[in-house]
Amino acid sequence: MPKLIIDNREVTVPEGTNVLEAAQALDIVIPHFCYHEALGAVGSCRLCAMNFLEGPVEGLQMACMIKAEDGMVVSTVDEEAVELRSHVIEWAMTNHPHDCPVCDEGGECQLQDMTVAGGHSRRRFHGPKQTYINQELGPFIQQEKNRCITCYRCIRTYRDYCGGTDFGTFGSRNRICFGRFQDGRLESPFSGNLVDACPTGVFTNKVFRFKSRVWDLQEAPSICPHCSLGCSTIPGGRYRELQRVKPGINRETNGFFICDRGRFGYDHVNHPERPRQARLDGQQATVDAALTAAAQRVRQMVEQHGPDSVAFVGSARTSLEAGALLAEWAKRTGSPHLLFETHRERDRAARILVDRLGDRACSLAELQQSDLLLLIGTDLIAEGPMAALAVRQAVRAGAQVVVIDPRPIDLPCSCTHLPVGPERLPVFLDTLVTRKTEALTDAERNPLQALLEQLDAAKTPALLGGADLLGSRGISRLLDAAVALDNNERPVRVVGLLGGANSYGGALLTRSPRDFDTLVDDIQEGAIKALVCLESDPYRECFDPARAQAALGRLELLVSFDCTPNLAAQRADIFLPSRPVAEMAGSFINNEGRLQAFEQVIEPGISIRETSSGDHPPREFSLETPGALPRPAWQMLAQVLDLPGDLPAIRQQIATADERFDALTSLTADETGPRITDPVVLPDTAPDELPQCVPGETLPLLPVQGFAGSDWLAHLSAPLQPLEGEPTIWLHCDLAVRLGLAEQDQARLTTPLGHCHVTVRTSARMADNLVLVPHLWGTALEGLVPGGRHIDCRLEKEVNL
Amino acid sequence: MSELLPQQQIDKLKAHAAEIEHPHEMIVDVLREIQAHHGWVPDAGVVLTAEILGITPVEVEEIATFYDKIFRQPVGKRVVHICDSICCWSTGGEEIADHLQQTLGIGFGETTADGLFTLLPTCCLGACGDAPAMMIGLTTYGPLTATKVDEILAKERAELAKTTSGKD
Amino acid sequence: MTDYTQVLFKNRRPGETASLETYEKTGGYEGLRIALQKTPGEICAQVKYSGLRGRGGAGFPTGVKWSFFPADQPGEKYLVCNGDEMEPGTYKDRQLLLADPHQLIEGMVIAAYALQAPVGYIFLRYAYEDCSQVIERAIAEAEAAGYLGKDILGSGFSCELHLHRSAGRYILGEETALINGLEGRRPNPRSKPPFPAQRGLFGRPTNVNNIETLANVPHIMRNGNAWYQQLSAPESSPGTKLFGLSGHFNRTECFELPLGVTLREVVQEYGGGLRNGKRFKACLPGGASSPYMTAEHLDVAMDFNALEEIGSRLGTAGVTAFDEDTCMVAVTRNINRFFARESCGWCTPCRDGLQTISWLLDKIENGQGTEDDLTMLHDQVRNINGRSFCALAEGAMGPVEALLRLFEDEIKEHIRKGKCPFG
Repeated sequence: MPKLIIDNREVTVPEGTNVLEAAQALDIVIPHFCYHEALGAVGSCRLCAMNFLEGPVEGLQMACMIKAEDGMVVSTVDEEAVELRSHVIEWAMTNHPHDCPVCDEGGECQLQDMTVAGGHSRRRFHGPKQTYINQELGPFIQQEKNRCITCYRCIRTYRDYCGGTDFGTFGSRNRICFGRFQDGRLESPFSGNLVDACPTGVFTNKVFRFKSRVWDLQEAPSICPHCSLGCSTIPGGRYRELQRVKPGINRETNGFFICDRGRFGYDHVNHPERPRQARLDGQQATVDAALTAAAQRVRQMVEQHGPDSVAFVGSARTSLEAGALLAEWAKRTGSPHLLFETHRERDRAARILVDRLGDRACSLAELQQSDLLLLIGTDLIAEGPMAALAVRQAVRAGAQVVVIDPRPIDLPCSCTHLPVGPERLPVFLDTLVTRKTEALTDAERNPLQALLEQLDAAKTPALLGGADLLGSRGISRLLDAAVALDNNERPVRVVGLLGGANSYGGALLTRSPRDFDTLVDDIQEGAIKALVCLESDPYRECFDPARAQAALGRLELLVSFDCTPNLAAQRADIFLPSRPVAEMAGSFINNEGRLQAFEQVIEPGISIRETSSGDHPPREFSLETPGALPRPAWQMLAQVLDLPGDLPAIRQQIATADERFDALTSLTADETGPRITDPVVLPDTAPDELPQCVPGETLPLLPVQGFAGSDWLAHLSAPLQPLEGEPTIWLHCDLAVRLGLAEQDQARLTTPLGHCHVTVRTSARMADNLVLVPHLWGTALEGLVPGGRHIDCRLEKEVNL
Repeated sequence: MSELLPQQQIDKLKAHAAEIEHPHEMIVDVLREIQAHHGWVPDAGVVLTAEILGITPVEVEEIATFYDKIFRQPVGKRVVHICDSICCWSTGGEEIADHLQQTLGIGFGETTADGLFTLLPTCCLGACGDAPAMMIGLTTYGPLTATKVDEILAKERAELAKTTSGKD
Repeated sequence: MTDYTQVLFKNRRPGETASLETYEKTGGYEGLRIALQKTPGEICAQVKYSGLRGRGGAGFPTGVKWSFFPADQPGEKYLVCNGDEMEPGTYKDRQLLLADPHQLIEGMVIAAYALQAPVGYIFLRYAYEDCSQVIERAIAEAEAAGYLGKDILGSGFSCELHLHRSAGRYILGEETALINGLEGRRPNPRSKPPFPAQRGLFGRPTNVNNIETLANVPHIMRNGNAWYQQLSAPESSPGTKLFGLSGHFNRTECFELPLGVTLREVVQEYGGGLRNGKRFKACLPGGASSPYMTAEHLDVAMDFNALEEIGSRLGTAGVTAFDEDTCMVAVTRNINRFFARESCGWCTPCRDGLQTISWLLDKIENGQGTEDDLTMLHDQVRNINGRSFCALAEGAMGPVEALLRLFEDEIKEHIRKGKCPFG
């Protein structure tokens, strides 16, 4: 740990820290552009000059390029250093337009901050400025090249860190610009990070552009609800509209960046069909009346038919607080039926992972340190995009990646991919556990042998698997494999990609060994007569929606708390409008057991944009804010339970009742979050329905998640619509040839559920004899749920007449 | 000259790219071959280079736009590079440049109406002992006088006329 | 003109390129035969003790550079010849190649053997198409004669050479930018450390030397260090040097002279004085990045150390002379425009600072300069010099700094008169 002196103050920093970081440790912030904690230093901007007075390095140096060493004496206020910094800023500004009044970066322009901090205030250069023609970069990013100060942060973020391949540096000397080869949508699923990386307004958020001045935004630290990784975010809203999301900083999870689904998936909050009104038996009601009715009818049901007649189901987007209160409600009724995932395999997988993860848990920061990563049955770009970025950082540091998955996996880094059918995944997992290779084909044996050797030799190996393709048995075997591959020197880390933001928390709260499919049996038989859905849609999100829908019609009472226009909300006898993450405080536990709090960003309400066609002020006047009725689910549940309705009290109540959640009482949204690991109530053994597809006479269809639009909330977000696109299926090129289909053909996909028109995409990098289909919301096939029941299909080319 | 590269040459380059460990190192070579054949490198030339080398067009464009002797815009059949660096400047390079502009009737960066010549300034050509100098295509000329420039242009014109008529 | 020993130019004939036969007749490839009898370490040591200094501009001792090279390290290692001769006023490598190209081939094979780097690249600038043809022929001849290729002269040592034709841009003369250029990456300089000797071309140990430097090696091998050192007077700068004369000299040719000849001898004997009988005002002694020398420096010895002592640099020894009627503001403006245009755009001081200086010099030369502009010129030089990522901007400051040091009165006259005093 080198000890050095900066501006007469001593500081001790970890080995490898550069002097700019060392100064920051003393709260001395020196202007800089090219240095970024996640990107490192390249020494191109020449801004962070300091004078090295004594020690191994002497003279004026760029602090970001010098490793802190013992005995260094450094001055940041040295006259030469200050003069140079002001010159570098002056140079950086020579071509910068004075369009600040109309620039959408205004309010968060780092160039402006650095200009002021660098001491440049008067323009001396009056020569002509360089100008450029902008590119059309798709729906997310607006480009304004003239503002570029050539700090190279964009290329280092987009290409080096995020692995995007359609972005480059063009030109030379003082005519350099950054962009695509030709106009077109930026292809990286992390493209939005350009907005934050650019210190000025070259790349701005096209969706948010000119909606608000940033200082007018209401912002608060939050957690992304779109997958199970729990990335930190800072949503911003104004006039009751959620307008953007930018990344929060959590060095254990997302670091400094987020994916485009997290950035542009926020719009479910503003969805025009979002239910904002409580309903009782088809009529509008007050929230209080509906809550009272819900409590009463559940009680009556229990009195009449016993506690077994009521079931409570939450979801992966239910906050820990609301989930705990739902559990309390179930407990008070005496009902044994409490679940937090209607998708049987996701539920079971989450519970098994939570039960056994223990010290194998691996944050994204730890994942970056892995030297060997085996991704089996997971498509990270779809199931946990930021994990793919963590894998990329590991690869940049020298790690090897092996992927075993039927899909045409597009990781932002190099990997070895074995595109095997989903039915082979259990065999591979067994082999990892037993090292017996008899069940493998000749072609599979060598790569698996090599993989086993690599795993044995690896110092920090990690196994990553997804609940959708592996199912509960697969996740269980993944954990078995980790145990089998442990050795005296190191454990094998495990990352499980779960159903959603609070799948882990839900598993911790689950009280019943049964899964939703067996509850459906009870509903079908009339044993369960009442169902309370907490931000949950068993009609469309369960393992087998067709079967569930038939049974759910038999319910005598359906209560739904929700903030989205899903089928449970529409069909409920009693409906309570709840709030999405951005409109309340709460907490989630991510897929590695990290408990993280989020704060309320905005109040609910129909945005001014809608109530007044975008004008201000609104032309309609009322004493109440339109659409402002939704309340946090935890608040409504507290009312049902006759508990105090404020969050600190509820958290205290939860922590008192269950010591695992002790940390809740002091948790704040700006901390990395403590990890909670604990055995949970494991599911009953299920009928072995995996492998999901059996190749043979029929054509197996495998529903999978896509990058955008597979999760319900993302599907409801208008900015992501261009990415969700038209219904599409993926086939191996050889299969396509056998079926007489070609890339971009239109085809008719027929299944027992119905049929749908799809566009054919082909790939040589996927398993043969398999049709991959993303969640086809709004079509006859929307019941094909990723990770759901296996199904056969027929695919025929549509001939345009 | 509408063809970017003859197929035979494309095949040869592809074969070579497949043989070597770092096909990236051929980017400038391929761009130069396209330029030698087609006169300049249009977008399609960047795409073709990427295809030959098995890399992305953006990786090629990053290189193509860096070098000043790769032309990403249409040029005439002969590019006239007139040196404007110090040795040529001190020996009358500016007068030669003026003379070229007048004779050809174009400014820097422009192409003659007949499509024969494009005039570009260039940095030092390494012909400082023969200043002032210019390079037409890949041939360096110097020391130049106005008369010599006229003779050289006439010679180039005659050669161009020959190749054009020969092709027809 | 004194009849100095011709080493590199001994086979130079007007309009002719020495054939392999001619080269062999005058001792060509004897150096290689001798070298192959020695161990690689012995060759490195000999080059080190010969005192040979790099001819590309920096004058770094070649043998010392070689001593940093991990010749024993297994795996690929590369030898790269820097033939991106693009600094204005520099044309000596072209003259060398057109005169007697086998010197380079032989030098590279010896260096490849000494460094155990059996794959060599010759990086050649775009404008040197004539040289590229000469090199290709020389490579073919050397291969046919067994001086290059597999099992050279039965020694068991094999070496292959590749010619890379570039496409413009001065920055590629910077060795790490050149390596990026060879790899097909954007030719920005790389951060050092790691130095190319540790991680260079394709991430492997790489040694980069200039054409003239490598061409000296066979002669040192063949004739020995004592012979080499007696070629010139200054102990610190042994050997001969190619001096390319340009600008206002009567004779603008390339001469091979011993290091340490005086500037006066170069100007009067070899340059033949200045055109039209004008008086010598100043010169760039070693390419456009070397600070000016004036008439007061005529008796300075043209060697690496002596020129550093007077605040200039021998650089590439491309001597560009300016007569008494030359406006040094205009000269500097021209030179600075070159550097501004050839900046790779990686770091701010070079990319935007040189542009700022260009603007200032334009203003002053056009008669619109002010005292503030002069002050600004001073502060620009002060803040660019030594602050940029690589040596390009520092080189660019050579003439500007010398302009301020030696010709500030001339700048002031521009400002005072509101026009260029030279018309």
